[in-house]
Amino acid sequence: MNDPIDRLRAARPAHLGDTPVDERTRAAELTRAMAQPRQERRTRRAPGRRTIARPAWGLGLAGAAAAVTAVAVAVTGTGGTAPSPSTARTGQAVSASESPESSPGRTAPDGQVRLSARTVLLAAAHRAAGQPDETGAWWHTVSVSRTLFRAEGADYTVVDRQRTESWTPSATGPDQRQHSGSQSLGAQPATPEDEAAWREAGAPAEIPVVVPGKKGAKLSLPTGPGEVQKGQAPLPDGDKVFWLGRNVSVRDLRALPSEPGALKAWLLRSYKGHGTESSAPMSRDAWLFTVTTGLIADMPVTPEVRGAAFRMLAGLASIEVTRDVTDAEGRAGTAVTIDGPEASAMGKAAAGDDGVLRTRLIFDEETGRALATENVVVRPGGAQAGMEPGTVWNSDVTLESGWTDDGPAS
Amino acid sequence: MYDECRQRVWAYVVSRAGRQVADEVVSETFAIAWRRLEDVPEPALPWLLGVARNVLRDTVRAEARREAFGAELRAWIAATGDGVRRADVADEVTERLGVLAALAELPEDDREILVLVAWQGLSPRDAARVIGCSQATFRVRLHRARKRLGRAMENPVSPRPRVRNLSEELS
Repeated sequence: MNDPIDRLRAARPAHLGDTPVDERTRAAELTRAMAQPRQERRTRRAPGRRTIARPAWGLGLAGAAAAVTAVAVAVTGTGGTAPSPSTARTGQAVSASESPESSPGRTAPDGQVRLSARTVLLAAAHRAAGQPDETGAWWHTVSVSRTLFRAEGADYTVVDRQRTESWTPSATGPDQRQHSGSQSLGAQPATPEDEAAWREAGAPAEIPVVVPGKKGAKLSLPTGPGEVQKGQAPLPDGDKVFWLGRNVSVRDLRALPSEPGALKAWLLRSYKGHGTESSAPMSRDAWLFTVTTGLIADMPVTPEVRGAAFRMLAGLASIEVTRDVTDAEGRAGTAVTIDGPEASAMGKAAAGDDGVLRTRLIFDEETGRALATENVVVRPGGAQAGMEPGTVWNSDVTLESGWTDDGPAS
Repeated sequence: MYDECRQRVWAYVVSRAGRQVADEVVSETFAIAWRRLEDVPEPALPWLLGVARNVLRDTVRAEARREAFGAELRAWIAATGDGVRRADVADEVTERLGVLAALAELPEDDREILVLVAWQGLSPRDAARVIGCSQATFRVRLHRARKRLGRAMENPVSPRPRVRNLSEELS
């Protein structure tokens, strides 16, 4: 137990644990709270005008066994009408180990030419490196994260959505701030079948859901959107803006090596044999994959460095590429993941959780830009109990990322 | 919501500003939650911790928070010390004392982040919501805080007077 966080956790004073509040305090505080007038609900959509929750995700549509080995997951679009399960795209997986490097393509039984994982990644590297290099006053990103929950006492699944926008200054110093705005977009039934079950349950505007690992915890998700919560924070040490195995500034990111071997060596200087979020052991390649996924997904690196990152991934053993997949926004792309359960330690909801997740990055082969990162259920358990293998349990979709001279509206 | 979250909100406030002010801050937090019940999202805990954080900032000055936390920490250490006399768990107690003393050395911002993750068990996603920053920013700050905590645990002797007082009490 060498991780400082683990040691701190163990040193929590006992009285700060989960002891019940004494009855007198409870009565006094509740009385005081309820003596106050309640505020009227602010701008809410009129009841009659509530848009029907649209199915956003297809779940577990791929054959379970195939999905476990290939992590090929069917996701349907948000285009208003969800494709039926039979037309959902399941994707085709290829892996570095299956396809020898000497043969960049092979003909599959169905007649389609399959490219090796390495070839696909090298092509993406080439495209990524060819993108124009721009900078500006702010690195601006907009993303939507989605997480699946099972409804409490009913047989359907909902997807909860949150939009996050952030501005990172290229300037440094004690006066600089990183700005963010986040907004809950509400929960909705995950598939047409789930929507039918939700209607059968009376189409509740607040959906009670199962909270794994917490005895008696109640959680209900509003179906409507919440307010935008704005925040700002000074840059740690006056210039650090991202975590890439260690804390880095915009200048550090732009000065990263653009040669794959040198980039790998630079990243590995922060590798200590354990995961990025815990002290659980994590292999070198799994760790590199996790950190590199973050770099490609939302960091302001030069096109050459993004290209080098793809080249480095192409050189890792156990890399798997799945073409023809769709992200949660319905955009077509290609997924890359790495074999090995420890690659997904950060998706675990709780200690003792025996479920296995796998992290994958979906990118656009034409530009080498990231579309989304997803955690896919390999073995259900914990927060993913009752979900089919192959289900995308949560995802962060990048809607925008780029430089701009326009800062956040104050 | 009250029964589910009250003690965790209380624990958060205690770990920031001590027991003296905790009941008042918690009481005000739930009064605000009641007034704005329509706005309280689910899960409520991160939202409530965010409200408690604002109440704390608006009602207790930074200097007073530091002093109150120092007093709280001495109480924890005294309570942990009692353990030594009661049972033969000296190693464990020494470890706890070392960790708490290291925590006391950190700036308030670092302490808050570490407590949200280690003691409140929040995910980076939820903890970022409490603080009002993006997940990416939170990871950067968590990384720095964790490093500082690690350093403080390795080098327990500190030149800073506040901590010197503390180590006197430890001896």
